[in-house]
Amino acid sequence: MKAAFIIALLLQSSAAEAPLSDAAKEARAQGLMRELRCVVCENEPISQSTADIAVDMRRVVRTQIDKGATDSEVRQYFVDRYGQFVSFRPPTDGWGVALWAFPFLLLLGVGGAIGFRMLKARRRDLTPLPDDRGEGMDA
Amino acid sequence: MIAELGHLLAFLALATAAAQSYLGLTTGGEAPRRLAVATGTFLALAMLTLVISFVRLDFSVALVAKNSHSLKPIIYRIAGAWGNHEGSMLLWCMIMAGYGGAAALFMRNDRLRDRALGVQGLLTLGSLAYLLFASSPFTRLTDPPLDGGGMNPLLQDPAVALHPPFLYMGYVGMSFVFSLAAAGLINGKIDQDWAKRVRPWALTAWSALTVGIALGAIWAYYELGWGGWWFWDPVENASFMPWLVGAALVHSLIVTEKRGGMAAWTVFLAVLAFCLSLLGTFLVRSGVMTSVHAFATDPTRGLVLLAGLGLAGGAALALFAWRAPKLPAGPEFDPVSREGALVLNNLFLSVGAALVLLGTVTPMVVQWLGEIKAIPPENASLSIGEPYFQLTLAPMVAVLLLFLPLAQAAPWRKADVSPLLKWLAPAAVVAVIAGLLALALGGWGIWLGFGVLVGTWVVVGVGFDLWRRVRPGGFGRVFRLPLTVWGMSIAHIGMGIFVIGATVETAARTERTFPLHSGQTAEMAGWTFEFQGIRSEEGPNYYATVADVKVTHGGTTEIISPEKRFYPVADTSTTEVAIRKTIGGDVYVALGDTIRDEPGVWRLRIAHHPLIDWVFGGAALIAVGGFMSLAARLRRRAPAAAVTASPAVEPSNENAPAGVTA
Repeated sequence: MKAAFIIALLLQSSAAEAPLSDAAKEARAQGLMRELRCVVCENEPISQSTADIAVDMRRVVRTQIDKGATDSEVRQYFVDRYGQFVSFRPPTDGWGVALWAFPFLLLLGVGGAIGFRMLKARRRDLTPLPDDRGEGMDA
Repeated sequence: MIAELGHLLAFLALATAAAQSYLGLTTGGEAPRRLAVATGTFLALAMLTLVISFVRLDFSVALVAKNSHSLKPIIYRIAGAWGNHEGSMLLWCMIMAGYGGAAALFMRNDRLRDRALGVQGLLTLGSLAYLLFASSPFTRLTDPPLDGGGMNPLLQDPAVALHPPFLYMGYVGMSFVFSLAAAGLINGKIDQDWAKRVRPWALTAWSALTVGIALGAIWAYYELGWGGWWFWDPVENASFMPWLVGAALVHSLIVTEKRGGMAAWTVFLAVLAFCLSLLGTFLVRSGVMTSVHAFATDPTRGLVLLAGLGLAGGAALALFAWRAPKLPAGPEFDPVSREGALVLNNLFLSVGAALVLLGTVTPMVVQWLGEIKAIPPENASLSIGEPYFQLTLAPMVAVLLLFLPLAQAAPWRKADVSPLLKWLAPAAVVAVIAGLLALALGGWGIWLGFGVLVGTWVVVGVGFDLWRRVRPGGFGRVFRLPLTVWGMSIAHIGMGIFVIGATVETAARTERTFPLHSGQTAEMAGWTFEFQGIRSEEGPNYYATVADVKVTHGGTTEIISPEKRFYPVADTSTTEVAIRKTIGGDVYVALGDTIRDEPGVWRLRIAHHPLIDWVFGGAALIAVGGFMSLAARLRRRAPAAAVTASPAVEPSNENAPAGVTA
């Protein structure tokens, strides 16, 4: 009886690697598996790990997506259990906002400053420089 | 005997490097030149003695005993010489001194060369001191073992055997660019001639770095068995930051060389590229990446590197702060011009480098803040990976690349965009069609469509620009276009191909894990995989578990055999994936583990990687383009040097097409 139960459990775990029947849901699940970190591996997402825990985590992702959970609900489920470490996507609230905004603010700030200076100093009487060697941008 | 000879040679190099730096920075002339050649030669010979020790399996040398094994194939015995910390530090010193020696042989005799050799001598001196006093590869064992400890089997792979030499040619090559920047700042002369002489070195270093990074990506794809080629791992980012800054540098050097502009910015980038190389080395070598604790338990390596970074970077930045305000601003240009386009390039690439730095260092800083209890420990773990970089860096690069074909065709000083746009309009149409096709075929993924559009626009747009240059002289001009144009265009086409490959591969890659027992069949995307069972094989220094998988697709059948290898000496397993190449991409099969308590059932990870060869091929073309620009530079210099030793005005090219000035 006990043996039968174990076999059933194992069969279930093997079968759980099957994709979800809904292609859109399966795509979402696979996307999530790529950004969740395998917690026993060096630096691997669960989508690529062959570790047993990654198999379990993949199953949880599929089950939750199948039950109708949103992407962020699934992420939160894992973050609640394993900490922010489990998600390769840094948080988008609190100080995480600064992390996400930094590159764009830097680009806008520096680019704006340079652009403003160049436009202020712009002279209308400049002409194209003849390209004597025909090389175009000489790389 | 041979290891002692190597040790002696390294000490000789220490002495010549010291003399080289002193004489180079003071009197100059013939002496530092000869000393630089001597330093390079001594260290090349020292490296040779280490390689000989590894080939001969001289286990009385501690490093050989620890990192080699009698069963290891000969090529990996050679590569084993640099496949460890001490050996790779010797390689670092050798390449650093090699750049000095090459400069001594190839550069014109003047103050710039002397002082650059002086600074290079200082850097070599510092690296050598660290090598000899903190991590000597020549230490002997009094009681040599009968056999060695082997090498990390993951490194037993041709791509990774060549990865460090290329990576170091890039990383360490930036040291000579740094030396030239420091020398130029000491001389107070950062002008067109300076840029012209720096550019070959920057191109060498940057192209080699491109090859090194690409080899690392190829190795990850084939050897690690997870099917990825880039994972935004801190080790990868460490090499990517100097690459981005180096890319900005080889572009801004053009402005300084051709127009005398952006001098201060260019020299700043030259300093920054090497500082980021050092920072990358610090992150990789100190162990700070895997854990703050690792750094705390063995801090010597890290601290020495950090001190070197602080000294070199601090000194160079102080020099920069002193001299930069006096550097000329260069001639005026309109924002809409080739100069303007190159400013845009530099803006995006340096912001890119800054964001990669932030994304790499933040998790370490957060972890450290947790260690010192500055923030609650439960908040002190953070991962920054693919989603972050894909949503920040990727769109930035895409926007930048939209300007590329226009920039390539724009004249200096001021550009009239409308004729260029008219000329490039068909390329834009092709790009939009390609983007829409990708959208339709790829299930309306917006990034997929945009990436394919951008990549196609770059490839076809650059093609149109080439045609524009060729057209006035007829088809025969194809063979008479200057090599520089080919270098630039091939690198840019490579970039476009890479972008198409990378977006398609990332968006449309499919992977699944199947638990199978012998005889069972898995199906994926029209392919059938029949698991035929497991057999054992024995390699030179490993035992392999080989799975035979019968792959059927559209009537053709083939048996492919993914392996798991166990290396008893190192007590480690590796994965050897089996790959079936198709025109559209790779079918990739990796053998996983058995399933707990379920005998005979193995996990097979099957993946499809569309257009993966475009990723590696694009990167290869970028490097080829860089090396072609370098070759053009060397070829052009040769006749000029024969006529006169002065920085003569370059002879105008008689092959120049008429009427291509737009």
